[in-house]
Amino acid sequence: MAWRDWRSGELGLLLVALVVAVGTVTAISLFVDRLHQALLLESANFLAADRYVSSSREIPQAFRDAAQARGLQITDTMVFPSMVFAGDERNQLVSVKAVGEGYPLRGSLVVSMEPFASGQDIDSVPTPGEIWMDSRLFPSLDIGLGDEVEVGLARLKVGKVLIKEPDRGGSFFDLGPRLLMNIADVPATEVVQPGSRIGYRMLLKGPDTELEALKDELPLEPNYRWVGIRDSSPRIGSALDRAESFLLLGGLLAVLLAGVAVALSAHRYSKRHYDHVGILKTLGATPNQILYGYLGILVVIGVVAVFLGLLLGGVLHLGIVAALQTLIPVDLPMPGPRPFLLGSATGLICALAFAMPPLLHLKNISPMRVIRRDLGTAPASQWLSYGAAAAGSLFLLIWYSGSWFLTFWMLVGTLVVLVVFGTLATLLLRGGRIVGMQAGSGLRLALSGLQRRHKENTAQILIFGLAIMLLLILVLLRTALIDEWRAALPENTPNHFLMNITPAQLEGVEDLLADGAERQGPLYPMIRGRVVEVNGIDSQEWQDQHRHPDMPGPRLRSERNLTWTTELPKDNQVVSGRWWGEDSRAREVSLEGDYARELGLGLGDVLKFDIGGQTIETEVTSLRKLDWESMQPNFFIIISPSGLQDFAATYMTSFFLPTEEKRFLNRLLSEFPTITVIEVDAIIEQVQSIVDRVTQAVELVLSLVVVSGCLVLIASIQASRDARMAEHALVRTLGGTRNLIRTSLAAEFTALGLFSGLVAVVGAEVTVWLLQVQVFELPARLHPWLWLLSPLAGAALILVVGMVGTRRLVSSPPILVLRALS
Amino acid sequence: MAAEIASITQLLTSGCMSRMVIRAAGIEKVVPTAEGQLTILAGIELEINAGESLAIVGASGSGKTTLLGILAGLDLPSAGQVFLAERELTALDEEDRALLRGEHVGFVFQTFQLLGSLTALENVMLPAELRGDADAEAEAIGVLDKVGLRDRIGHYPRQLSGGEQQRVAIARAFASKPTVLFADEPTGNLDTKTGQKIIDLIFELNQEFNTTLVLVTHDDRIADRCNRIVEIDGGRLQ
Ligand SMILES: Nc1ncnc2c1ncn2[C@@H]1O[C@H](COP(=O)(O)OP(=O)(O)O)[C@@H](O)[C@H]1O
Ligand SMILES: [Mg+2]
Repeated sequence: MAWRDWRSGELGLLLVALVVAVGTVTAISLFVDRLHQALLLESANFLAADRYVSSSREIPQAFRDAAQARGLQITDTMVFPSMVFAGDERNQLVSVKAVGEGYPLRGSLVVSMEPFASGQDIDSVPTPGEIWMDSRLFPSLDIGLGDEVEVGLARLKVGKVLIKEPDRGGSFFDLGPRLLMNIADVPATEVVQPGSRIGYRMLLKGPDTELEALKDELPLEPNYRWVGIRDSSPRIGSALDRAESFLLLGGLLAVLLAGVAVALSAHRYSKRHYDHVGILKTLGATPNQILYGYLGILVVIGVVAVFLGLLLGGVLHLGIVAALQTLIPVDLPMPGPRPFLLGSATGLICALAFAMPPLLHLKNISPMRVIRRDLGTAPASQWLSYGAAAAGSLFLLIWYSGSWFLTFWMLVGTLVVLVVFGTLATLLLRGGRIVGMQAGSGLRLALSGLQRRHKENTAQILIFGLAIMLLLILVLLRTALIDEWRAALPENTPNHFLMNITPAQLEGVEDLLADGAERQGPLYPMIRGRVVEVNGIDSQEWQDQHRHPDMPGPRLRSERNLTWTTELPKDNQVVSGRWWGEDSRAREVSLEGDYARELGLGLGDVLKFDIGGQTIETEVTSLRKLDWESMQPNFFIIISPSGLQDFAATYMTSFFLPTEEKRFLNRLLSEFPTITVIEVDAIIEQVQSIVDRVTQAVELVLSLVVVSGCLVLIASIQASRDARMAEHALVRTLGGTRNLIRTSLAAEFTALGLFSGLVAVVGAEVTVWLLQVQVFELPARLHPWLWLLSPLAGAALILVVGMVGTRRLVSSPPILVLRALS
Repeated sequence: MAAEIASITQLLTSGCMSRMVIRAAGIEKVVPTAEGQLTILAGIELEINAGESLAIVGASGSGKTTLLGILAGLDLPSAGQVFLAERELTALDEEDRALLRGEHVGFVFQTFQLLGSLTALENVMLPAELRGDADAEAEAIGVLDKVGLRDRIGHYPRQLSGGEQQRVAIARAFASKPTVLFADEPTGNLDTKTGQKIIDLIFELNQEFNTTLVLVTHDDRIADRCNRIVEIDGGRLQ
């Protein structure tokens, strides 16, 4: 039976749909899997390792032994501030990083033989006795390569200019100019004294499983911190998380679309077998023989489809990778077994859940069919078909996403949509009939036909609508994600900060900036001061009352940078109280929310500040929320102008400097050697490059899903092909011209597309709203332009796919009517 | 007398000439198969006059359906010419043949060939709708009345028995007032009694609408009711 079916091309349809399902899923998950690994790898560069252990204490030897026992690569780094001296006059506070052999474990160092050059990768670290330094230290120390500098008690030779280090980053005010030295030289400097501020790290590299096992094994708490990319850079971490959710969602949708394609093909296959089964039954085949026969076929087809599909998926994904080589210059790591498992399971589950119900139905075909052709076939049990499909989808979704949560919202969205769709589609078809009656004959034929076959058409609108909806969801989410990433770090975000500008230097600095840099951020006065009393209570006492002495967190009594301003800084948000007006005369203070909470401060408290021996009293009138990831200066404490403006201040400002104009720093520092420059360009660049990669990945997956969406459209049009073929041949026999059929087909597809698009936009808005609020935690909003675009795009898409799919049908030879059509 | 006969003959001939609805000359149909060219029809010469009823009989597989398809312009012969209603079918393209069919030809098939998605009335209205006639409905209802299905017009084919479905098909064929009605074994799927009634109906309406009838059958009793019988065997007219 199978062989004969195969020969007549009937089974081919089902096989193709299954192969496409398996192939798409395998290709997408292979690609996503590798891309994901690549993204992780690339972000690992920002740590210079896969993970590290950091502490203000020395890393115990036992940690190293444990890591090495697991076959992990390790190396150590130390970071500490120190003065460097060049000659008798020049000195500069730098951030020293001492590194061991093998550093960095991920990414690479870039050095050059000339300050402010673009440099080359290097595979080694400074040899003992040698140091490498940031470009800007050369002008400020007034030295060249080969000169010697003093770091602590050691004299070290300047060997190279350090252009880039992969794990440049860290907290905002910790970014002095870098001096890189060999860790073996540290004892000679004698800077490591009890109480000195040193950051120790043990960098680790190796397989994830070993790393995670090590994490569980080491006695980390409370002195040692285990850091992965997500801990070290929350912004990169959240971009990765969202991208992962998105890729997952994309893959998920591809699975669903493929499932629909399989169900459609199986339905068509079984319909074509109604007669066949009827004949077999009259010849004495029992229902069970028929059942097992078809199940046997399905199993064989399933196995063959999985095999071919995996092959197709592999090849397809290689094609994608090859096509994207230029876009994704990262080496993709080899894929794991999961995509292949996923592909195989998809094939089998699709076969079971989507293809089996219509085939099971075959055993119920009445043998009377042979005698009375048009004997109604009892429709396949709807509960069985839909139930099996729903169960299959659910299983696949959960397995694929590993997230009940995501699956739940996907299903809620889909369910709401189905109900809304059903109602909407019926209404639209009714409306179409009324409009259609006024139109010319082609249109009338199409539109009245649409309404007459309203059951089939409702189903088709549902399928088209669902496919379009899924595409819209992806497009909307993609746009929302990318917009949000871009908005967080727009191009030309200030990437350099200047501090310690004296009032006398202000004019000169501003002139220089206006001349050499692109954009200047606001100018903040900075005044050092500390809180000495709260509501008349000594601040140390207040802190002890409100916080356990061992708790980490800000100290009330330490000296801080205070600023005053009339306008609320950008990215700040008042969460309680109110911001002072421009002409406020009162002495008011605004605190950062977490800072205030941890120290038990609130609105109405009176803080007394000691500023260079003078004191002022201020009342807390607002609490603010800051965006700590904005890479902009943030102040815990802002005071109203009337409170601070009479104190002597230094100033800080920011500006944007593209990498190729770093030389400008040379000019700035030679002219104003006392000014402190803080460079955050490296961090910003890292974050932007990750966001760009992730954006590309998201777009790629989107286009893959678009392709599978089109496949569903084609499958669905194919499914109605037999009925249309018969209808067209008859219409032509009765005198309908090709043109008439074409017009009526076009009108029908356009109407279907319009309706589907309309229905899709409703569903997409609902689902996207839910997903954005629940999963991506983005602000939700409606998309008015979509309400116009979606129906038009739907009409265009289905018109094109439909007309191409039925190209041959238009000229179905009328003689077919005389021959057996079934 | 001789003159009279001559003039009558002339009258008849000229009348016949003008009343000839179908003429097929030198029809041949060859189809390619796996085992080479297969000749289904060869050397067919046939003329059919207006108002005439012609039965084409022959064994199964003798080529009756193929010939009917060619005469009706559903298919093209491999060689030869077919004229229908004074137009050369074999010189027209598929588009024009479709238009010609819409205007002059009605069909009744062995397998009824109703559109399952349309009601009886809508099936009957279909040809008129295809031509763009505005007043299709009243006419369709009239014909359905004639075939005795006045009260079934809203029913779908699957709600009708085979005999009733064939009546709808007959109503559809006559609703467009065709010049020629082609029927391919119209009773082949029906029991004898129902078949008898269907044949009666076809002949009755054929009379009433003054239609030319081309009927394919292998039932001699049905063939005998026609004015003329041609027999086909192995693709050749006897
Ligand atoms: N397209 C075709 N290809 C091959 N053989 C055909 C084709 N059409 C008809 N035949 C063959 O031509 C012969 C005549 O067919 P048909 O006209 O349907 O016979 P009838 O209607 O008299 O039973 C049959 O043997 C049939 O198998
Ligand atoms: Mg036949």
